[in-house]
Formats: sequence, structure tokens, C-alpha cells
Amino acid sequence: MNLTHIDELEGIELPDGFTWKPVRRHFGIKAFGVNVYTPGASGQIVEEHTEGQLGHEEIYLVLRGRVKFTVDGNEHELGQGQLVFVRDPSLKRAGVALTDDAAVLAVGGKPGEAFEVSAWETWFAAYPLQQAKRWDEAIALYTEALAERPDHPALFYNLACMEAQAGRADDALAHLQRAIELRPEFAESAATDEDFASVKDDPRFPH
Amino acid sequence: MSGAGYEILTLDEVETAEHRGSNLIPVRYTLGFRPAGVNAWIADAGGQLIPPHEEDSGNEELYVVVRGRASFVVGDETQDAPAGTLIFVPPLLHRTATAEEDGTIVFVVGATIGEAFDGGGWDTFAVAYTAQRAGDMEACRQIMATEMERRPDSWALPYNLACLEALAGNSDEAFAMLARIPVGPELREYLEHDTDLDNLRDDPRFEELLK
Repeated sequence: MNLTHIDELEGIELPDGFTWKPVRRHFGIKAFGVNVYTPGASGQIVEEHTEGQLGHEEIYLVLRGRVKFTVDGNEHELGQGQLVFVRDPSLKRAGVALTDDAAVLAVGGKPGEAFEVSAWETWFAAYPLQQAKRWDEAIALYTEALAERPDHPALFYNLACMEAQAGRADDALAHLQRAIELRPEFAESAATDEDFASVKDDPRFPH
Repeated sequence: MSGAGYEILTLDEVETAEHRGSNLIPVRYTLGFRPAGVNAWIADAGGQLIPPHEEDSGNEELYVVVRGRASFVVGDETQDAPAGTLIFVPPLLHRTATAEEDGTIVFVVGATIGEAFDGGGWDTFAVAYTAQRAGDMEACRQIMATEMERRPDSWALPYNLACLEALAGNSDEAFAMLARIPVGPELREYLEHDTDLDNLRDDPRFEELLK
């Protein structure tokens, strides 16, 4: 049986201080987005964000402990078996754990569209590798994600960041150029992005 | 409590609906969540949580034990599943679950790979069926009418409402619903064998339908 427990799932602590337990990736689910979050050092359990860009409806279900959610400026303290459904993607939402054992299940997707894996999952998964400067493994994750979503500008941009830091100038410049073709705003981001320090003086670097 | 763009829900405060011998907490129906199927099931120790089934729909399903403890049977394997357990089941594996503690709740998410989710089938019907059983035919009709407005091409909705009307002894309403459905071999098969329609069989209008 394909079964695990929230305490057995390996978590990744992210910069905002919450821990992501990648349920969808663990099981290889391809039909919907689902993850578990637990508090990191800061107590944050759901990062403050909107779903404006992705247009996702989201459900946050408390599996354990107590969590204070702030949705659209209103605070709600929820316990086990209580959920908040954020219908409007543009609403700002965040959650802070009130107990150390808190765990939240998040389910989301865009109404009327088949589920596609969000690019942020790759960013989250690559984060610890990036921190440890394990560039080859981070590059492999982005390459894998691009195989599924071959025209995703942010995936190309982040891949180029990893390659620049790994010293692979040719790959970095080619992939940065592809990212900019797909989303011209990335030219401006690249100009001030420290990740590209090693290739900034290359004549092929976009100016 | 809720604002315009969001809603708070407490699973064990939602009125349950009966479905194939289990108690459904109709989360998707209650919230109007659209990206995937989301529902929950509740039972006391020894009670059936998940009706035995396979997902002919093609849905991948994730079961999450929210509270209590359940015993899951997937394929020919049995597993103890305390709160916090996550179980992934691909579409064609047979699965069921029983509660091992009172008040056990299992939350379920499901959808089909590569397809936009289109809910409003069996779970809406379970809510309507429960209203009919409680004698609230008006609520039952209202639930089905809302769904029929959203899915005017579905023949299963008027058919199921016809069944509920027939069970409640409302022959005129039942025939009015059946008249909306194009008669084809599939409907004929149901008309001939569905015991829900037994109250209608002696009516001359039933003979007309089968002609």
C-alpha cells in the first residue's frame, strides 16, 4: 500500500521559516496539487502569499495542533478538522502555528483547467541543494521540471541561475536568453541578480 | 465565519449525507470548490468510512486521516492508519476503510490526470438523496435543479431526480423528469431494471416510455 505519515515525510525548511512536506512529489500525484506544511523555526506554517498569478482556489485544512490564519486581514484560530477555503485567488493569506505539533494540508488548483505542476515546487525542492551549493543536483531538478513544462520562463531563469553559479557559462547564458525570450522582464531581473556574477562580463550577457 | 472571498468550515459540524452505507461530509458541495474533488467521511468505531469501490472515473485519490484511527484495505493489503496517515490510491485499485475509533474522519482529494475537474455528480446526488429520505422533497428538488442548471446536458441528473420523486410517491413529477431524457438503449436498460422506479411501473405513462 502506498502509505506514509506526516511525521515520516521528509520536510524542507524554506527561507520564510515554514517547512514544506512535498506530498504530491512523494506519491508522484499528477492529477491535483497537495502538500503538507509544518512550522519551521519562526512558527510560520503557511507563507504569506496570494494565488493571484496562478489563479488557484485553495483549501488549508488543519490536520493537527492549532493555527492562526490571517486571510484578507481577518484572523481565524483553527484546530484539527477545521479548514479555510480561499476562493478568491487575489486574497492575501498566511498561517502561524500556535502549537509546535501543528500540520496543515493544502489542496489547490485552477478551476476549469487540468492540473499542472507549479514551478514553485521545483524552487522549493531545489532550495536546500542551492544552499549546500550542490549545483549539479539542483540543475537536474530544474531540467526534470522543464521536461514536463518546456516553455516555463521562471524554470529557465532559475536553471540559468544555478548554471551560472556552477560555472557553466555557456548553458547559463543560453538558458537565460530563453527565459528572456519567454518573459522579457527577466532581462531587468538578471541585470541586478547576484547569481549571475560569474557571467556578467561575458559579451553574451543581456544588456 | 466568512468574508466574501473565503470561508471557514469545521468538518464535523457539516450535515452528513448517506452514501453507500457511509457518512459523507459533503465538503465540495458545501464549499463549491472547483479544482478537484474534495470530501470527507466520518464514522464511529467499527463503522464503514469509505464505501468499497474502484475509481471508474479514472481519479487518482489521496486519503488523509484527520482524526481518530482507520483500517484501510487497498487491493489485498490491510493497514492501520492513525491520524496523520496519507494513503495514495491509483484509479483501478479496490479500496475501503473502517473506523477504529469513534469520530474518525478521513479527508479525500481526487481528480483525473490531464483533465479539468468537473464535480457535481455523485456527491450532490448523495446530499439530495439524504434530503429526500428526510422527507424534505423541496430541498431535494432545489439541490438537483441548481445542478441541472449548471449541467443542462446531463441525463443522469433528471434521471436521478425522477428516481427520488418515484420513491417519494410523486408520479407526476417523476414522469416530468423522465420526459426530459432522450430515450436510448442506456435509459431503456435503467427503466427496465431500476427498482427505484417500481412505483411507476403500473402507470400507463411508463408503458409509453418503453415504447
